[in-house]
Amino acid sequence: MTSVRPKLKPETPKAVTGWSTATGRSLWLAVDGSWTEDASRLGVFAGDEAEARLAASLKQEGIVTDPYFMEVTADGRITGRESLRETMRAQPVLAYGGAA
Amino acid sequence: MYRYDQFDARLVAERVAQFRGQVARRLAGTLTEDEFKPLRLQNGVYLQLHAYMLRIAIPYGQLSPAQLRRLAEIARDYDRGFGHFTTRQNIQFNWVALKDIPDVLAKLAEVEMHAVQTSGNCIRNTTTDHFAGAAQDELLDPRAWCEIIRQWSTFHPEFAFLPRKFKIAVTAAEHDRAAIRVHDVGLHIRQKDGVTGFEVWVGGGQGRTPVIATLVNPFVPEAQILDYLEAIMRVYNRFGRRDNKYKARIKILVTELGEAEYIRQVEAEFAAQRDAEKINLPKAEVDRIHAYFAPPALAAKSESSKLFEAAKVADPAFARWTRTNLHPHKVAGYTSVTVSLKPLGVAPGDATDSQMEVVAGLSEKYGYGDIRVSHAQNLILPHIALDDVPDVYKALDAAGLGAANESRITDMIVCPGLDFCNLANARSIPVALEVQKVFADPAYEEDIGKLHINVSGCINACGHHHVGHIGILGVDKKGEEFYQILLGGRADEKAALGEIVGPGLKAEDVPGAIHRVVEFYRAQRTSPAEKFIDTLERLGHQPFQDALYAAG
Repeated sequence: MTSVRPKLKPETPKAVTGWSTATGRSLWLAVDGSWTEDASRLGVFAGDEAEARLAASLKQEGIVTDPYFMEVTADGRITGRESLRETMRAQPVLAYGGAA
Repeated sequence: MYRYDQFDARLVAERVAQFRGQVARRLAGTLTEDEFKPLRLQNGVYLQLHAYMLRIAIPYGQLSPAQLRRLAEIARDYDRGFGHFTTRQNIQFNWVALKDIPDVLAKLAEVEMHAVQTSGNCIRNTTTDHFAGAAQDELLDPRAWCEIIRQWSTFHPEFAFLPRKFKIAVTAAEHDRAAIRVHDVGLHIRQKDGVTGFEVWVGGGQGRTPVIATLVNPFVPEAQILDYLEAIMRVYNRFGRRDNKYKARIKILVTELGEAEYIRQVEAEFAAQRDAEKINLPKAEVDRIHAYFAPPALAAKSESSKLFEAAKVADPAFARWTRTNLHPHKVAGYTSVTVSLKPLGVAPGDATDSQMEVVAGLSEKYGYGDIRVSHAQNLILPHIALDDVPDVYKALDAAGLGAANESRITDMIVCPGLDFCNLANARSIPVALEVQKVFADPAYEEDIGKLHINVSGCINACGHHHVGHIGILGVDKKGEEFYQILLGGRADEKAALGEIVGPGLKAEDVPGAIHRVVEFYRAQRTSPAEKFIDTLERLGHQPFQDALYAAG
């Protein structure tokens, strides 16, 4: 992983995100513990719960690759220093002809 | 073109089987990502912003119709219906699932293709002039030497774990279309007293520390070139900065040692090679490889074509395209056609599956089965009879490939940027498409003449912004994209690095700024024959910089 990962304070709201090991698609951890390709369904965590969620994610090598914390607001909107990159990851991207 | 022998075929097949096992273990979770990453990179598999990316080698940018059809099939069946041709004359697929990649590699192996050494700290695809074997101005066809270098560098045990990646380019024409002076090693084929040899340039490169290469040896006879390359690689392997990724390229070694000391070390290493170490290339083997690149048996044609001339009179759009997208061929009655992958509104370098099949079909019907990829991210049909050019154009235009813009302002080199790339700081494609819109009028674009705009989404410079006549570099300032403009770069035989001219611009301000610079050029040029870069070099950067930042 080469993108910059800012250190977040324990109390900072955060999501857990990574990539599907099988397909490489961006994934976000939902509140119910499932992985979703829909960023609007991401779970917001903080403190010890966030650390526990990330630790558990790191053990799912065959499912998710390189999970990490991503800064979000309390209501789940992308924020922080990496917001441009994370917003791009959460959006549909260019297809041939420039259409999303 | 070169054909696999039994050893090549077995090597590639065994590599696919090996990677299939590695992927299965990764999907089962028994290999961690840290363990798997170096394995996937050795097979051209990156994990990008949204998905895995598979980069496939196209040695020196040459493809057969069967290979291009197979790439189209992969685009259709395993990607989203398109592929992206790169500045290394390779192709990338941006949406291939890891679970499918072993099958994709097996399909590639069937047509003598692979993804080996398209990533990692090894010697990458050797690139060359995309008109090789056809260009009027070349001394000889450089592809055979590219193939010899490919065979020498593939799985070379001593150079599998270099300090950083390593790129070699070869040209045999006075006008350098292979950008050899911004490569780790650039080779210019020369002849001296009846002997073929190489002018050797070392330590060029772009990225965060752009450097123009140093002339290390003006003439190395062809029989010694692999030994000389070994000497270059050994000095680099021994003294390259493995302690710092950002100082690990050979350009830093050459710069830190200084030109004289670096040359002394290479020459000493070269001289110290014992006879037993020397690479004895048998002449028969060199001749065998040269034979793969024998010119096609072109049917005899007269120098001019009535069909061609009549079509130009009948169709002004075709006439314009012939003025921009054809390149002089060494055989009378033939031309080399650039198939622009830069139509307005399309990510530069992208081609759909059906477009790839159209080009493959045209190559079979009219082009002697020869297709090239240029480092400017276009395709080339190198051998087309003038009589056939009107039909080729009609088919290309019908497929959305009729843009008349080769080396013009809308023919930009553009990296994937933050739409795809994990390293990027800003998007490249949208800003390039917005600039294209300003110059969408074909007559206006033709009047501007040759002008290269290169766009990168970060300082790694995959979009070659340092050597664009106008370079655009995307940066991230606190979550907002800004674009720095560079002026005066060029990648040809007068290679020069562009200079950043001032503070970055917001994306929406870039097209207007470029337009002002171009209008200033049009007002200042001595005649339409004076190109943008020549006017810039004549007047200096300051007045262009003033135009760039003038109130819109």
